[in-house]
Amino acid sequence: MAGAMRWARFDPLGMLGIMAMLLIWAAMTRVLPPSSLPGPLSVGLRLGQDFFAAPELSFYGLPDASLSGSMIYTAENVLVALGVGAGVGIAAGLLTARSATLRALIDPVLMTAGTIPILVLAPFFLIWFGVGRASSVLLVALYVSVMLYVFAQRAASGLDPVFEQSARTLGADRQRILIDVLLPSTIPQILGGIRIALAGCWGLEAIAELLGAQYGVGKIIEVLAGATDVQGILAALVLLGVVAVLFDAGAALATRRLARWSVTTQIGHER
Amino acid sequence: MSDAAPMVLVSRVSQTFRRADGQKVRAVDDVSVQIPEGQFVCLLGPSGCGKTTLLQMVAGLLAPTQGEIRVAGQCVRGPAPERGMVFQKDSVFPWMRVIDNVEFGLKCRGVAKPERQAIARRYLAMVGLAAVERAWPRELSGGMLKRVAIATVFANGAAVLLLDEPFGALDYVTKRQLHDVLLTLWGAGASGGRRTVLFVTHDVDEALLLADRILVVHSGRIVDDMAIPAPRPRNSDSLLLPAMVANKHRLLAHLGLEVAPAVPVLAQ
Repeated sequence: MAGAMRWARFDPLGMLGIMAMLLIWAAMTRVLPPSSLPGPLSVGLRLGQDFFAAPELSFYGLPDASLSGSMIYTAENVLVALGVGAGVGIAAGLLTARSATLRALIDPVLMTAGTIPILVLAPFFLIWFGVGRASSVLLVALYVSVMLYVFAQRAASGLDPVFEQSARTLGADRQRILIDVLLPSTIPQILGGIRIALAGCWGLEAIAELLGAQYGVGKIIEVLAGATDVQGILAALVLLGVVAVLFDAGAALATRRLARWSVTTQIGHER
Repeated sequence: MSDAAPMVLVSRVSQTFRRADGQKVRAVDDVSVQIPEGQFVCLLGPSGCGKTTLLQMVAGLLAPTQGEIRVAGQCVRGPAPERGMVFQKDSVFPWMRVIDNVEFGLKCRGVAKPERQAIARRYLAMVGLAAVERAWPRELSGGMLKRVAIATVFANGAAVLLLDEPFGALDYVTKRQLHDVLLTLWGAGASGGRRTVLFVTHDVDEALLLADRILVVHSGRIVDDMAIPAPRPRNSDSLLLPAMVANKHRLLAHLGLEVAPAVPVLAQ
């Protein structure tokens, strides 16, 4: 509880950084025309205006679009992709850390998949899974699973064998070792991986939507870019950024609670 | 001594490793030994002599290349809770609170929560850690972690305790305190008398203070088998008994620190 309260306190330096950025932005609008760079205030107003209903988007074939609705669509996809990708990646990572044969089989496949640029992969997914949710969710899930595969595998490989040996001499079977040794011991590193993956997810999902989707923040950005509506694009980006920061704060809090036994996570957060 | 079957029976056991350079190394070489129930046995030898390998085979963590190990008449195939082990490294799970660590073995056997909690509390009290049952292991000192590890194997009810240089990394005072803790628990013998202990060490005084019997291991073989009949409880004075001094000289000679066994050292 105390930890949660302390987290919620604002970081003065972080606030200072945001203020500085807004000032520079405002200063730049004095030089650049509003069509290239609208000011922070007008972007904020546009964000409020389009939040629940954005009628002008109907001209671009998005009749019922609003910023909040699109954001919820994007957030849902990100969370589903994170869940699916993390589940697959963690399971595969832990398994391959304990089986050299499986590792030799799976490592090259996932490592290759992880290096394919999203711009190359997206068209295939659109052909295979259409322009609905499935395409963007699976695309993002793929990158998440590769990242968490690496994190989980490294965490499990780095675990001192004495813990598993001790568990076995105390009478633990494989299932018990998985639940009470392998999973909890790797949780701090896996949660760290989930946080990094989550941060990347927003961008990937937006790109996936940009390349082919009917809803979502990425789709809004795509149509507004077609109309060179910089103000609208910036409003969508600000909303995406704020939501990403809030989710990251939630993930940080979860990490603190679930990994409170770990010395490293304590040091990482103590100030 | 008795005609009952020995608690631990090691018969013609060998362990061969292949080193990275392809060379075969015989870590344990045709070892046979019988240990009766309730005996406190120290395996003493220089590092790399094969004593830890032998212990790991009794624990079931390592299968012998040749030969057979029986514990309570049963052939050892893999680890089992009746053979508890305390490791040289810290094996207390950092992600569980102290009491959950002590309960772990009981949990594996399906003992109900209130019952295993009561057992864990009893053993935590016996090792002097009743006050820190809700602490995280990272909050404990090295000596306290060893107490938790000892409480864990005793709480699990192992008939045979295997200790692999458990106090090797501790300071002298902590080590002596833990000797007392270990001997108290060993002597307390909850239900069925004393438990059988195999204790690996390279510390001569530690072996003399603890053991009923010392097996000297060298190059994968047992080269000496000494009974230590000194009365218990023992203290630093016990090490000054003539028989103990003679034993100490013999052990030091085995370790290559003195020239010949049982030669009195002349005052300089």
